[in-house]
Amino acid sequence: MAAVSKTGAFLRIENVTKQFDGKLAVNDISLSIEQGEFFALLGPSGCGKTTLLRMLAGFEQPSAGRIVIDGADMTRVPPYERPVNMMFQSYALFPHMTVAQNVGFGLRQDGLDRGIIRDRVGEMLDLVQISALAGRKPSRLSGGEKQRVALARALVKQPKLLLLDEPLGALDRKLREQTQFELVRIQRQVGITFVVVTHDQDEAMSMATRIAVMESGKLRQVGTPGQIYETPNSRFVADFIGAVNMFSGKVTGHESGMLTVASPETGCVIEIANTEPVPAGTEVAVAVRPEKISLARTAPEGDLANSVRGTLRDIAYLGEISIYRVELPSGATIRVSLLNAERLAGPGFARDENVWLSWSAAAGVLLRQ
Amino acid sequence: MSAGNSSRRQFGVAAPPLFWLGLFFLIPFAIVMTIAFAESAIGIPPYISPLQFGEGGVSLHPYFGNFQILAEDSLYLRAFLNSLGFAGGATVLCLLIGYPMAYAIARAPESWRATLMTLVILPFWTSALIRVYSWMGILKPNGLINQLLIASGLIDEPLPLLNNFFSVELGLVYGYLPFMILPLYTTLEKMDLTLLEAAADLGCRPLRAFLRITLPLSLPGIIAGSLLVFVPAVGEFVIPDLLGGPSTLMVGKVLWDEFFTNHDWPVASAVAVAMLILLVVPMGLAQFFLRGKERG
Amino acid sequence: MKFIGRIPRTLCRAALIVLAVALFSTGARAEEEKILNIYNWSDYIAPDTVAKFTAETGIKVNYDVYDSNEALEAKLLAGKSGYDVVVPSAIPFFARQLKAGVYRKIDRAQLKNYGNLDPQILEKAGAADPGNAYGIPYLWGTTGLGYNVKLVKAALGADAPQDSFALLFDPANAKKLAGCGISLLDSAQEVVPAALAYQGRNPVAKTGADLEAAIAALSAIRPFIKKFHSSQYINDLANGDLCLAFGFSGDVVQARNRARDAKNGVEIAYMVPKEGATLWVDMMAIPADAPHPGNAHLFIDFILRPENAAAISNTVGYPNPNAKATALVAEPIRQDPAIYPPETTRARLFFDTPAAPDFERQRTRAWTRLKSGS
Repeated sequence: MAAVSKTGAFLRIENVTKQFDGKLAVNDISLSIEQGEFFALLGPSGCGKTTLLRMLAGFEQPSAGRIVIDGADMTRVPPYERPVNMMFQSYALFPHMTVAQNVGFGLRQDGLDRGIIRDRVGEMLDLVQISALAGRKPSRLSGGEKQRVALARALVKQPKLLLLDEPLGALDRKLREQTQFELVRIQRQVGITFVVVTHDQDEAMSMATRIAVMESGKLRQVGTPGQIYETPNSRFVADFIGAVNMFSGKVTGHESGMLTVASPETGCVIEIANTEPVPAGTEVAVAVRPEKISLARTAPEGDLANSVRGTLRDIAYLGEISIYRVELPSGATIRVSLLNAERLAGPGFARDENVWLSWSAAAGVLLRQ
Repeated sequence: MSAGNSSRRQFGVAAPPLFWLGLFFLIPFAIVMTIAFAESAIGIPPYISPLQFGEGGVSLHPYFGNFQILAEDSLYLRAFLNSLGFAGGATVLCLLIGYPMAYAIARAPESWRATLMTLVILPFWTSALIRVYSWMGILKPNGLINQLLIASGLIDEPLPLLNNFFSVELGLVYGYLPFMILPLYTTLEKMDLTLLEAAADLGCRPLRAFLRITLPLSLPGIIAGSLLVFVPAVGEFVIPDLLGGPSTLMVGKVLWDEFFTNHDWPVASAVAVAMLILLVVPMGLAQFFLRGKERG
Repeated sequence: MKFIGRIPRTLCRAALIVLAVALFSTGARAEEEKILNIYNWSDYIAPDTVAKFTAETGIKVNYDVYDSNEALEAKLLAGKSGYDVVVPSAIPFFARQLKAGVYRKIDRAQLKNYGNLDPQILEKAGAADPGNAYGIPYLWGTTGLGYNVKLVKAALGADAPQDSFALLFDPANAKKLAGCGISLLDSAQEVVPAALAYQGRNPVAKTGADLEAAIAALSAIRPFIKKFHSSQYINDLANGDLCLAFGFSGDVVQARNRARDAKNGVEIAYMVPKEGATLWVDMMAIPADAPHPGNAHLFIDFILRPENAAAISNTVGYPNPNAKATALVAEPIRQDPAIYPPETTRARLFFDTPAAPDFERQRTRAWTRLKSGS
C-alpha cells in the first residue's frame, strides 16, 4: 500500500486512526507525501477522506497515531498554530468583509505591516485573476469567483500544506475543466504541497501527481494515476476508477510468465502476460479496460485466447467515443469503447449484429482481492 | 406584465400588516396628535379640539401652549432623560447578560435548543404584574434577601434594595431579557460555523474569532434586541411605579400624572407625541444603518 | 335613466329603516329596563346590600369597582361611561366633574329617606355641591396619621407627640423616624392642606404664597420620606415595614385590624392631629347620560335607609352620614374614635374647597418636583 519510503517525507501520516462513537472513520492509515506533490484522497462518500483531511487541518484530533509536517509533530497542535491552510467546500468566505479583507485576514492575524499585507493580497488576487473584485463583498460574487477568493485566502500565507475539500464540487462542467488546469498551474507556480479530497475520479486523475484510494476508513491503493488505472490492486480500485470489465475464473496454469485462467463467464481462456506465478485452481478476477478491447466482424487469427463472441446490444454515441455493450452467450455484458474517429473510417456496426471481441495478453490485470 | 403582477402581489401580501398598522397605530396616533394641539378645558371631553366642524367644512385652530409647557418646564426633560438613562442602562445590561445566554443556547446540542428557549419564555406564561410584586417581596427591607443576609450574620442592618435605581433596573432587565435573547439567538443560530473553522485555519485564536467574526455577524440580532428592549422600556410605567421611588421619575409616570391627576389630556398627549418623535429618530437611524449593512 | 331612479328609492328605504329603529329605541327608553349599572370603590359596600336591593325591586345590578378617583374621572370625562351610579370623592373630583357637566340633578322627590342625612355633613358637602343638588353623601372619613406605637415610642421616647402633626412635619422627629419608614399619600390635594395646618395657616388657602410655604415645609422632611403611595401603606403598616403613614382613617383602621388578626405584635394607632385634619366625603352621583336614572334614584334611596347604611359601615369601617343609622352601627365601631370621631375632634376637621385649574396644575407639578427630589 505505501508506495514511497517513510523516512524523510514532507508530510507523514503514521498509523492514524479516528473513532466516532465506536465507529472507525479512519482505520490505521499511514501515508507519506513529498514536498510539492499534488496529492489526491479519493473514495466514495463515507470512506473517511474528509475526516483525514480535517485531522491534517487540526479540526479533529486522531484517536491514535501521529501527523508530522516537515519534521514537526503536529498531532496535538491547534489549527491556528499549524502552517496549514484549507480551502473549504462551501468556501466559508466572511460575508461581512470584502474580497481583499477576506484574503488579507490570515496576514492580519500574523500582525504584519499594513503595506506588506496590501502588497501580498494584491499579488495573490493577480495570481487567481480577480483583482477587479477586490472591493466586493462575497454576496455579490459568482460561484467561480468565490472559489478563487477562497483559494487566494488559503495561499496568501504561503503555508507548507494546502488542503482542498472537494474544490470543484459546486462548479458546472465547463468551469470544472478550466479550474482543474488553473489549480495545477497555480500549484506548480507556488510550489506548495496540495492535498485534495474528492469523490470524483476524473478530477483526481487529471489533477493529482499521486492518488490514495480509500474505502471504509482504510487505504486501498496509493500510486500515480497511471499506476492506479493500469494496475489496480483490487476489484474495488479497478471498479472505482474508470469503467472496467471484470471476469472471474480459476487459474489453470503458468508458463514462461503467461498465466492462463479458465473463465466460464467469457467462455474462453484468458491469458495474462507478465504476472507472478499463482497456484492452479485459485479463484481470481481479471480486469480489462473497455478501450483495450477491439471489435471485429470476424474471428481474430491465431488461437482464440482472449477472444469471445457476442451480440451487440447497445451503442451509445458520446461524440468523442462510442460505447458498445455486447452480450455474451453466458449472459454477461462486456463494455467496449472505441474512438469515433477510427470507427468512421471503417464499416459501422449495427445493433444485434454478431461481433468478435478480443484483447491482448498485456491488457488484462490479475486481481486477487 | 410579470413585473406588474409581482408588485401587485407584493402589495397584497403587505396589505394586512399595513391595514393593521393603520387601524391600530396611525389612527390612534392621529387622535393623540389632535389632542396634543388642543386646549385644556372643563367639560366632556376636557379639552377644546383644534378641529372645528362648521359651515364651510373643517377649520384648524391648533394650540401650541402644551408643547410650550414641555419646553419651559425642566421637569419633563428630566423625566425623559431619566427614562432614556434607565432604558439605556437596562438595554446594556440585557445585552451583557443575554448575549452569553443566547450564545450558549445556540451552540447547545440541537435537541436541547427548543427546551432551553422554552425555559427562557416560560416566565411570560405568568402575569407580569405578579412577577413584579414578587420582586417587591424579595427586595424589601424584611424581604427574602435581607432576611437571608441578616440571618446568616453577613449584615446587621437591612440593605436598601427596593424603591431605588437598583430595583428599577433589576425589574426592567428581568422583564425585558427574553426580548434581547430571542433575536440574538435567532441570529447566532443561523451563523455558519464553518466560518469559525476558516478563521482558526487562518491563524485566528478563538477569542479573536469571536470578536472579529461572530460579533459582527450577530450585529443585526444585537440591534433588533436592543430596540425591542430600549423602546418599550423608555415608556415603562408599571415597573418604576411598583419597584421605584419618587426619585426614579420616568416619563411614563409623568404622562400618567398629567392625564389622571391633572386631568390635562392635552399636555399628556403632548408628552406622548414628544416621546414618540424623540424615539423615532434613533430607530430611523438604526434602520438606515441596518439596510446599509445589507447592501454591503 | 332607470339606473338613477333606482338609487334614490334604495336610499329612501334605508332611511326609513333607520328612522324606525331610532323611534323604537327611543320609545323603549321611555320605560326603563330593570337594570342598574353601579361603579363604586372596591371593598366599599356590605356583602348583601346589592342582593337585598335586587330581591326587593327586581332590578338586576351590574356592579363594577375602581380603586382610584383618577380612574373613575378618566372614564367620566371620556363620556358615555354607561354607569348609572358612581361614587367620586367630593373634593376635588366631584366638584370638578360637576363643572364639566358630568352629572344630572338629583330629583329629591324620588328620595323619601333624604331627611336621614346628617345636616353637618350635608353642609360640608355643600362646599363642593352648592345646594346639595347633584350628589348624596355616601361615606365620609378623615385624613390623619397612622403609626406603629412601639416603633414610634422607641425612636422618639415616651413623650413623642402622639397628638400633633409635629410627629411628621418636625424635621427632628422625621429624621428619627426615617429609619423605620415614613409614607405620605401620593396626593398633593391631601398633603398640602396638612402642611399648611401644621404651620398654623389656613389649610384650604389656594394662593401661590401658601403653596410655596407648604412645599417648603414638605421639602424640609422630604429626605426622610420613604414612599409616596395612596394604598401601599396599609400593608406596610400592618407588616411593620412602616412606622408612620399619612393616610385615610379607614385604611389605617384596616391596617390595625390586619395586624391584630395576624397576631404579629404590631399595634397601629390612628390620630387626628390637634392642628386639624381633612374631612372628606364620598358622594353618590348620577351621570348625566345614565341610561337608568330612575333605578339610580331607587338605589340611592335604598342606601339612605338606616339599616342599609349601618350595614355598610359595619363592613367597611367608615362612618356614614346617615344620622338615623348611627344607633344601628355595631358598638365597637360606633365607639371607636378613629372611625367615629368625637365632637371635640370633629370641631378640628376642615373640608377642602375646589381649586382653580391653574392652581391645581401648579400644585401637581410642584408636587412631582418635590417627590423626585429636585
